[in-house]
Amino acid sequence: MKIEDLVGLIGSEFGDEVVDELLHRVRRGFDDALNLIRRPQAALGVVKSPLGNLLVATSARGIALNHFMDAGSDLAATIAHLRLDFDPVEDEKAVGEIGKEVRGYLAGDADALRHHVDLTLAKNPFQQKVLRKLQDVPRGAVVSYQALGAAAGAPRGARAVGNALHNNPVPIYVPCHRVIAAQGRIGGYGGGLPRKLQLLRSEGFAMDNAAKRVPDSVVWGHKVTRIYCRMDCRTTARVDRNRILMFASPQEARRAGMRACKICHPDAPA
Amino acid sequence: MALENSHLPPPFEELMRRHEREIMRYLLRVTGHREDAADLFQETFIRAYRAYPRINPDGNLRSWLYTIATNLCRNRARDSARRSRVIVQSSDDPPPDALGKSHCSPHEDAGYAAVRMRELVSGLPAKQRQSIHLRYFAGFEYAEIAAAMGCSEESARANVSQAMRKLKATW
Repeated sequence: MKIEDLVGLIGSEFGDEVVDELLHRVRRGFDDALNLIRRPQAALGVVKSPLGNLLVATSARGIALNHFMDAGSDLAATIAHLRLDFDPVEDEKAVGEIGKEVRGYLAGDADALRHHVDLTLAKNPFQQKVLRKLQDVPRGAVVSYQALGAAAGAPRGARAVGNALHNNPVPIYVPCHRVIAAQGRIGGYGGGLPRKLQLLRSEGFAMDNAAKRVPDSVVWGHKVTRIYCRMDCRTTARVDRNRILMFASPQEARRAGMRACKICHPDAPA
Repeated sequence: MALENSHLPPPFEELMRRHEREIMRYLLRVTGHREDAADLFQETFIRAYRAYPRINPDGNLRSWLYTIATNLCRNRARDSARRSRVIVQSSDDPPPDALGKSHCSPHEDAGYAAVRMRELVSGLPAKQRQSIHLRYFAGFEYAEIAAAMGCSEESARANVSQAMRKLKATW
């Protein structure tokens, strides 16, 4: 017998039955130990939408990831990031519901996005806070980076807000398309500007793909007084801009519970 | 539309099902002791689970598990050596060198040969011992041994060949 074969023999005194018995004995304690450190399971899959294919992950906590697949970002890196907090399992059926909701939403159903949002994948507490505050901005309205920063407790942090939105793990559900630059310019979008414009159009803003600014027909709603005005109302000159939401139309402002200004009469035809 | 496999590694449970018997057998072989093997088995897979998100899904998962198991065996050996250093070796146990060629040739009985071979192997330096376990039990290539032991491919090769030379000389 060759010496290599003899070395291979070591441990052969433990037969299959010993291995089976040990595995059986270990399994119970092992499962208990593993359950203490287990990451939540997430269903992962690709869904089709009018905005292109989306990589979606949902768990019992809600939708954690909604990623534009062709946005030039690295798919492997996105999944690697997801895996730090979740155990993903490919499950097309479980994420199919998201595709239905997104399609319904873009077709005009304002209440289509029913999934709860899970911000586990947000990078840090500040970004989480920005994204949570952003969820208060209603459909049909936009807010500036600066005003959103102020709402999240960082009035001078417009650029930090931009970073938070860039890292938004759940676009569409957390409406980062509703954030625009000061003075009404459109700003940027992680998924590409055409998508931002398409989303805003579906929410009632009259903008074509060449638009550089929000249209002049928007009304300014004040978050504290709950009054909305035309953009050229004389009161807007001295208002605190950090408290302004821009609504696509007077109807949208009324739907958000605001009343018309009695100076500029924003409801009257221009 | 399905995701590519390279992006999503198998679920941990599946990885475990695939390799648990092999790893348990490896630990039994290296430790020669059921309780130790069971302990190390649990620790190996708990560590593997913790680190699973950070490993490259394209990498060799099997050799990665062996690496964890090997490192844990090494830690265990080092710690128990530290604990037992105060115990004076009993004069009844012959030191490993004394188990020399003079010791008859009981080669007919495979069970006995295995036990005796274990004795000889346990007398080898730790690096050589681990290298030959990985080489002749797990069937690793030298590159995989090098990766598992954190050394160069040349020294993996040298460890294995020196170990085999010693074993041949004493058998």
